[in-house]
Amino acid sequence: MKKSKLVSLQEAMQEVKDGDCIVMGGVVEDRRPVAAACELVRQGKRGLIILAECSLSEDILVGGGCAVAYRGTYSSIGAFGISPCIQRMSEEGRIIVDDIGHTEVCLGALAAMAGAPFIATKACLGTDVLNPAYDNVAKIRELARNKDVLPAQKYVLMEDPFFGEGMVQLHPALKADVFIVHVQQAGEEGTARIDGSLVFDHFAVHAAKKVIVTAEQVVPEEYLRRDPNRNQIPATSVDMVVEVPWGAHPGQVYNYYDMDIPFLMEYAKKALTQQGFEEWADEWIFSVKDHYGYLNKLGAARLEKLRAIPPFGYRPRMRGGMK
Amino acid sequence: MAEFARPGDYTPAEAMVIYSARELKNFDGKTGLIGIGLPLLATQVAKKLYCPNMIMIVETGQADANPIEIPISIMDSRLTYGSSWQMGDPEGLFPLVRGEIDFGFIGGAQIDKYGNVNSTFIGSDYNKPAKRLAGTAGAVDIGGFAKTTITTMHHQKRRVVERVDYLTTPGWMVKKWPEGTWVRREELGLPGGPSCFISTLGIMRYDGETKIMYVDQYFPGVTVQQIKENTGFDIDVSRATEAEPILVEELRVLREEADPLNIYRTR
Repeated sequence: MKKSKLVSLQEAMQEVKDGDCIVMGGVVEDRRPVAAACELVRQGKRGLIILAECSLSEDILVGGGCAVAYRGTYSSIGAFGISPCIQRMSEEGRIIVDDIGHTEVCLGALAAMAGAPFIATKACLGTDVLNPAYDNVAKIRELARNKDVLPAQKYVLMEDPFFGEGMVQLHPALKADVFIVHVQQAGEEGTARIDGSLVFDHFAVHAAKKVIVTAEQVVPEEYLRRDPNRNQIPATSVDMVVEVPWGAHPGQVYNYYDMDIPFLMEYAKKALTQQGFEEWADEWIFSVKDHYGYLNKLGAARLEKLRAIPPFGYRPRMRGGMK
Repeated sequence: MAEFARPGDYTPAEAMVIYSARELKNFDGKTGLIGIGLPLLATQVAKKLYCPNMIMIVETGQADANPIEIPISIMDSRLTYGSSWQMGDPEGLFPLVRGEIDFGFIGGAQIDKYGNVNSTFIGSDYNKPAKRLAGTAGAVDIGGFAKTTITTMHHQKRRVVERVDYLTTPGWMVKKWPEGTWVRREELGLPGGPSCFISTLGIMRYDGETKIMYVDQYFPGVTVQQIKENTGFDIDVSRATEAEPILVEELRVLREEADPLNIYRTR
């Protein structure tokens, strides 16, 4: 058998260095590496540059003082409001933001997977995403530990030389120091299986120098290899695997559990102020030793109420799901 | 004979959702890329009443999503179960870029007279905004590539403005970079363009020549004066007529079938 990549969450997060550019898998509050984010806050990371989006797990990093910049497409926790920490820090001018489009993020990840330095697209033409006055790429690049991870320019405009379709922009590939992704199942060698939306994790896994998979369940590698078509992340791209049950709480994980709506509402409300966020972090990050301490604090009864029911993959509201 | 509801029987948000659902009558058998929030709620009402054959694509990669209960998140597990295909965001968005999406339906924080929408920030200083918002997400791509776009948001003077603070979703007049010159979207090779803006007060469309927003219909119980007072530019109301009243059945479907638990707080 090949060498196991299984490590503890503490060990895995120690691989994230101050000043790293990081991407987190999942989207908004769904299949997010929240336990990983809490551990990064616990370890006191500084100077991180958040790429792709700034939703639940990233907002915890921002509130925890771990991040200096954000470059991506979405800074909201959906129904729970604008991501409160990035909103507050941005409005106070204390974090650098650089907005890009959603298709741009996907294309950047696609380029990374293809090994292409950039990709041509009509995405974002006509919009303020391309406004030079709002271009903070150079400022963010200055702060990165590895400057070569970030592009030298935000975009380049040119005429389509092949099909005569007019103006296009060249959008750089997405690159990162670390990609942290939470999945339903992973084997000890890193093969990973995602249920529900893949987001762009199946592309982004090829964009980072280091890939850390946190999984609801670590299952025998051999079990996942019986049906390789069902796997989205190859063992060959993964550096570390961590078993983190309920690792995306309070968000949802398809086929495993639903959203903890009261918990999300409480976060969204408390984190509106720095003091409120710190109280929240004291309670849910610093007062517990690790993720298992967090789960003990939540309690089995609360978690059981979130458990998904087949065949839906979520907990129907009429059948005891949270409203 | 159809029974009509009266203004006062429903909230302005409910009116916005129901008139949006009616607008979707035109899209039975068509494919839409739908934003989460009130657009999704209106789509669910429309599918039950007016366009059972509409196909809903969501930007986190669900093809023909058919949620049993109303989702609240853009990759809600409720969207996955029952869809034809579940991939990821690229597979959700690229049909839009390929030109396969008949219509897009979004919300936003500000809309201007050319139908440009802002969902990024309010204020004049990007690096210290008065209010930081959600950002671009799919809205920029829906406005850029769908064959047409419907927008919905509350009708307030600070939202319906002469110029959006940040142009997130391209409407009819957009910015040509690097100079930022205002040009018609066709000049950049962008297909489509917004067809209407459905607010809490009425339905606005865009003049065929000037591409400037005008009031097409005002809701029962609303006056054109009220729309003028709640609009941040001098809006043309000369073509405005009163909308057909809301049906009791439309309200029932919204309240009892689409969102029985009032998850979207429309009432």
